[in-house]
Amino acid sequence: MPTPLVNPLREGIANRLSPEPCTLVIFGATGDLTHRKLIPALYNLAAEGALPPALTIIGFARREKTSEQFRKELEESTRKFSRTPLNEELWAQFASSIIYHQSPFDEAEGYTSLSKQMKEADEKHGTGGNRLYYLAVAPDQFPVILSHLRESGLSTATPGSWARVIVEKPFGKDLKSAQLLNTLVSEVFPECDTYRIDHYLGKETAQNIMVMRFANSIFESLWDSNHISHVQITAVEPLGVEGRAGYYDTSGAMRDMIQNHLLQLLTLTAMEPPTSLSADAIRDEKVKVLRSLRPLRGDDVFKHVVRAQYTAGLINGQPVPGYREADGVPKDSTTETYVALQVNIDNWRWAGVPFFIRTAKRMPKGGTEIAITFKSVPRVLFNQTGEGLDENVLVIRIQPDEGVSLRMSAKMPGSSLRIEPVKMDFHYGTSFGKATPEAYERLLLDAMSGDATLFARRDEVEEAWAFVDGIEEAWKTRSDDLAFHTAGSWGPAEAADLAARHGVTWRRM
Amino acid sequence: MSFIPGIPVPIGGIEKELGKLWEESGDTKTRASLINLAIYNEKPGSLERNTEIIRGIAGEHAMRAILVQADPKAEGSSADAWITMHCYLRGSKGGSVCSEQISFELAGMAARSLQSVVFSHLDSDLPLCLWWQADFRPPIDGKLWRWVDRLLFDSRHWKNPKEQFDLIRQIAGLSEARTVLCDLNWARSLPVRQALAAIFDIPGTLAELQLLRTLELDYAHGSRTTALLLVGWLADRLGWSLSNPSLNPEFRDAQGNTIHVNLTEAEGASISRMRLASEKAEFHLLRESGSDLYVTTATGSDIATTSRMVRAPREETREILLSELSRGGRHPLYTKAVKVVQSLWD
Repeated sequence: MPTPLVNPLREGIANRLSPEPCTLVIFGATGDLTHRKLIPALYNLAAEGALPPALTIIGFARREKTSEQFRKELEESTRKFSRTPLNEELWAQFASSIIYHQSPFDEAEGYTSLSKQMKEADEKHGTGGNRLYYLAVAPDQFPVILSHLRESGLSTATPGSWARVIVEKPFGKDLKSAQLLNTLVSEVFPECDTYRIDHYLGKETAQNIMVMRFANSIFESLWDSNHISHVQITAVEPLGVEGRAGYYDTSGAMRDMIQNHLLQLLTLTAMEPPTSLSADAIRDEKVKVLRSLRPLRGDDVFKHVVRAQYTAGLINGQPVPGYREADGVPKDSTTETYVALQVNIDNWRWAGVPFFIRTAKRMPKGGTEIAITFKSVPRVLFNQTGEGLDENVLVIRIQPDEGVSLRMSAKMPGSSLRIEPVKMDFHYGTSFGKATPEAYERLLLDAMSGDATLFARRDEVEEAWAFVDGIEEAWKTRSDDLAFHTAGSWGPAEAADLAARHGVTWRRM
Repeated sequence: MSFIPGIPVPIGGIEKELGKLWEESGDTKTRASLINLAIYNEKPGSLERNTEIIRGIAGEHAMRAILVQADPKAEGSSADAWITMHCYLRGSKGGSVCSEQISFELAGMAARSLQSVVFSHLDSDLPLCLWWQADFRPPIDGKLWRWVDRLLFDSRHWKNPKEQFDLIRQIAGLSEARTVLCDLNWARSLPVRQALAAIFDIPGTLAELQLLRTLELDYAHGSRTTALLLVGWLADRLGWSLSNPSLNPEFRDAQGNTIHVNLTEAEGASISRMRLASEKAEFHLLRESGSDLYVTTATGSDIATTSRMVRAPREETREILLSELSRGGRHPLYTKAVKVVQSLWD
């Protein structure tokens, strides 16, 4: 009797692709990302029965330790960082699928023994030859790991199985290095098996942008230059560099936040409706937005972009040091911790609509949001002077307090005519009380299921770098434009001026 | 009655009184609602029990709750109403989020005109979920169900499941109704179905699914319909046809092989054990008494032995209701499973 191709008991159980049995190899298994995010996410998936029935997790790292020690460390960190309490029995079962594999990344022998281990896992657990490699390491380790994966044959899937790679950001530090990295990856894994993680895309509210736009007829019909005056995309936090000075000082806010997270939010906000919900249909539309970005180069950069650094100040009433006083930061660093830029999307829909993007550390409070400001009503009736009425603003809050709000005007009760802004507010937490899963849970599951929708494609990454490179190049020519603002303030006066030139004020979050 | 489900209000002034309640509660409270959840029950004391359930779920699924305790057989006509709010602290700013509850005690004529009571107090533009906690009675009135988006009921509590399943299928067949049928007993079996389905994702096991010869199932006292729905689901999914309808029925697969089903009442969870066996492999699902985990194992001569643990949700009504409300969607396999279950009684 022929074996059915699909599990008939799966129908109606879940409305998503099923993750397939596999071996997950995490390179950089002793690092922060593994302890804080990856293993807690995998544990929660296991507890919900969402993981494939056969899964082996191999932690690949340089430090000497036994699998038992490794599991013990992971147990402690999962207890601390998991969104659900740790159940001893469940953990024991889950942990039994974790193996530690000690090896330097540059020794062929380590990959030979990894191959042996994976084959044993296939036989013992039925992981079917499927491989998922997670590069949770610094980008300078990518070449050596990838070349060893290729040389040892581990990147080639056996017939009927697959081999995929998940690459953590940063995907390069400029266009050239991103292309180099992408070429390197593509020599080992085809694009369809390459999953570039931008964890912002795994957030429920980021996923909701498309739902809000394309599942509600009232918004999309107003979503263009005829009705929208400008858009502000903001991601700010009260934290400083917090022990990441080494990386951050070579990166800066532009590379750390704008090139990836904020340009991704921009594409979701500005994209055309995709022809389908397939990964490539969606990513095609996102790439078109990036290609339509008016390039910023040379003097234009200094007209449209403000960079700044925080100096000592107060956050929540507590004194905090300035950026240059943080451990590991050079005293003369010109790395930006604040960026505000105004960009234009040169396509039919967005012609003439300025997009303002802002990211910063050491702000009075943290939050990520997209604010769509609609055009004012005509200067007749209630708006004869053109100054009396606030515009309608639709705010999509990505984090925290995820939700959507709409500001509109209403008449104050009374015999005189007084119009005031009122806010209609939708809070995820209010309507849907249950905790939302961590972004990494969704993304890991998607990679195991072969769904690349929430991962960045090569051309997306490179287009984003091409745009950012123009700015970085201009910045290299001078540094006298670097502004300063006190920690705990909403940024430098130059940023306010940038917005004011368009008749816009930055939103107070 | 000793339990008072809120502030007594005149039945014609409920919305006005709710408005006053909001005004008096200050501006730190936010009204939230995803659905109208109406609950109909004919047993005394149900308002208290259902208020407890609403209090338990409103924090996670905001709603307007409309509770009805009815005595349609009473003489005359009487109607009393109460309003209350269930509020939960949200966020760090000290604000709270509230769901409204309207409770009715209806007798006689008022109880028999349920539509006029429920429909006139719905939060507009939100779906209506009606949880029917009484027996369905013929004739099925299409006018009522036309307005119901989701009909919740629990076949576990039916005294005469054969008749009730028949009425459910009549409701499902109403041309004017777009009602989604949600048997909480079906929702109760979801974690078991999920865990069982996951076993057959293991390479090599899928072939055995077509070769099963034995199905053993242990169910708790009062959960026979849960067990039967699971049998119905498996039979439908695997293309089995009933060959011997008895307490322990037999089915035939597409090749004409017999599948023996053994249903046993046992202490523990509603479904505490399942064993599926072919000639070469065995698949077990086990929930130990008092445990909050399902353990599944697969063993056989041609497959790798695997064991897996997943969290088993609590079987309280609150949990099952919440899970059902959060999940949404239709249940096309339910009516197919019911069809098999009904054939067991024919």
